[in-house]
Amino acid sequence: MSWYQVKGAEADTVISSRIRLARNINGYTFGKRLSAEDAKEILCQVEKALSEDYTRTDMDALSSVSARALVEQHLISPDFASLKAPRALFRNDKKSIYLMALEEDHIRLQCILPGLSLQDAYRLAAECDETLNEALDIAFDDKLGYLTHCPTNLGTGLRASVMLFLPAMTERRMIPSLQHQLQKIGLTIRGMYGEGSAAHGCIYQISNQITLGLSVEDILRNLEDAVGSIITKERALRKNVTDEAALLREDRCRRAEGVLHFAKCISSEEFFSLYRDVKLGICEGIITSITHETLNTLFISVMPAMLVQNESPAPKTALARDVLRAEFIKKALEVKPRG
Amino acid sequence: MKCENCNERNATFFLEQIINGEKRSHRLCRACAEQLGLFHPGKNAIEDVFSPLLGSHTAMIDEIFGFAGQGVKAKKCEGCGVTWQELSKSGKVGCPRCYATFEAELESSIRGIHGNVTHVGTGPIKKRVSTGPVKKRVCTAREDLLEDLKKLMREAIESENFEEAARLRDKIRAESDKKGG
Ligand SMILES: [Zn+2]
Ligand SMILES: [Zn+2]
Repeated sequence: MSWYQVKGAEADTVISSRIRLARNINGYTFGKRLSAEDAKEILCQVEKALSEDYTRTDMDALSSVSARALVEQHLISPDFASLKAPRALFRNDKKSIYLMALEEDHIRLQCILPGLSLQDAYRLAAECDETLNEALDIAFDDKLGYLTHCPTNLGTGLRASVMLFLPAMTERRMIPSLQHQLQKIGLTIRGMYGEGSAAHGCIYQISNQITLGLSVEDILRNLEDAVGSIITKERALRKNVTDEAALLREDRCRRAEGVLHFAKCISSEEFFSLYRDVKLGICEGIITSITHETLNTLFISVMPAMLVQNESPAPKTALARDVLRAEFIKKALEVKPRG
Repeated sequence: MKCENCNERNATFFLEQIINGEKRSHRLCRACAEQLGLFHPGKNAIEDVFSPLLGSHTAMIDEIFGFAGQGVKAKKCEGCGVTWQELSKSGKVGCPRCYATFEAELESSIRGIHGNVTHVGTGPIKKRVSTGPVKKRVCTAREDLLEDLKKLMREAIESENFEEAARLRDKIRAESDKKGG
């Protein structure tokens, strides 16, 4: 199962945790300087280094819709989907490790898990990293740490991030000041879907900015501590509402649930705001017929490329896609018995 | 790293002045560098930046990957053939060896990004060192139980049995609470 099909820890506020390690192989150039033969050699080396649990997907062989569907599942970066050079994705059978070979760096090793689970994600990534280190001549300098294409990733090469659901902080316009505070401790926050619009999904990603001069443990602890206090704040804000506001919130949640069940067409933008209201309804115990994992799966499944990748013929107009999305949601929610 | 003029914004300009044989370095943000007449937006020619400083002393000012002295421009990386000029334009190195080739030139940029230039932590372990028999930790029964539960949870996560892992996680929490209370 993929990360979004499973309920994780702190599901009311944390959607997923991700670890990314940037690694490179000595003796090869980066980016546009890398020859086609060297690129093939690197892909071959990485394939040999990994165990048989890993499946190789050459990105050239994928349709653009399939590539975009991988982006929508957060398994590869948008750049990796659109690059024109040879590159390959390696996935393990357990669907926890996704390794992009020849993205910006020779190797971008990622582990993504549901909920708040940075330590587990790091442990799994580190296991794979060790395998690579044993088999490959990884570029490392005693002073600068792991050497990367861009100096912003030097040192640990570690980018740890947590995807958060923060409707109460968003509603109270607290994100800009949060951004300011996080910056001071070397963290960044960015909105993920429909930021600044009515279709605000209230989904944010927080990650470390500095990779050099801090140990892996410190980077993870710093991020975990910040996320911990954000979770506490968000929960307190959700609780601290007037009776009237609570009533209006319940109304919004139930309306959103109704739209998911009965609407004829739903655009992806509209879905972001429906997701926000329904998710909040689940968190507050207002909506009991839908689980976090069902809603998260739905969220990923109705993204534009995910929605149409198995459809033939593919819907031609935006309206046809919105109809398809509404039908898909209806069907997905029917499976679960109501009440 | 903060700008030494306003002490508010991050410093992205690193200025070295040699006055009467004495070297002084300054770290400034873009706004302060502009205010002090050390940087003119739109004018990228290095001479323009130098003009107020040329004459009795030599100086070097470089924004992150922005400018560098003329002598550096000719240097090439043996690993990939990239020059400092090309590197500073793209902001990215051409190969792992570039970091050794342009060690001095890159230092201020790396410091500007990370606030320091020294890695903390381990690197690749080329050969696994045998650590000998693992010392058994002495712990109470409850700690044993917790350790066992944690081990089971890790195994459950590894075998992708996330439902089981979630159940174990809740159990670990309950046990930890008991221990605390
Ligand atoms: Zn300043
Ligand atoms: Zn080089």
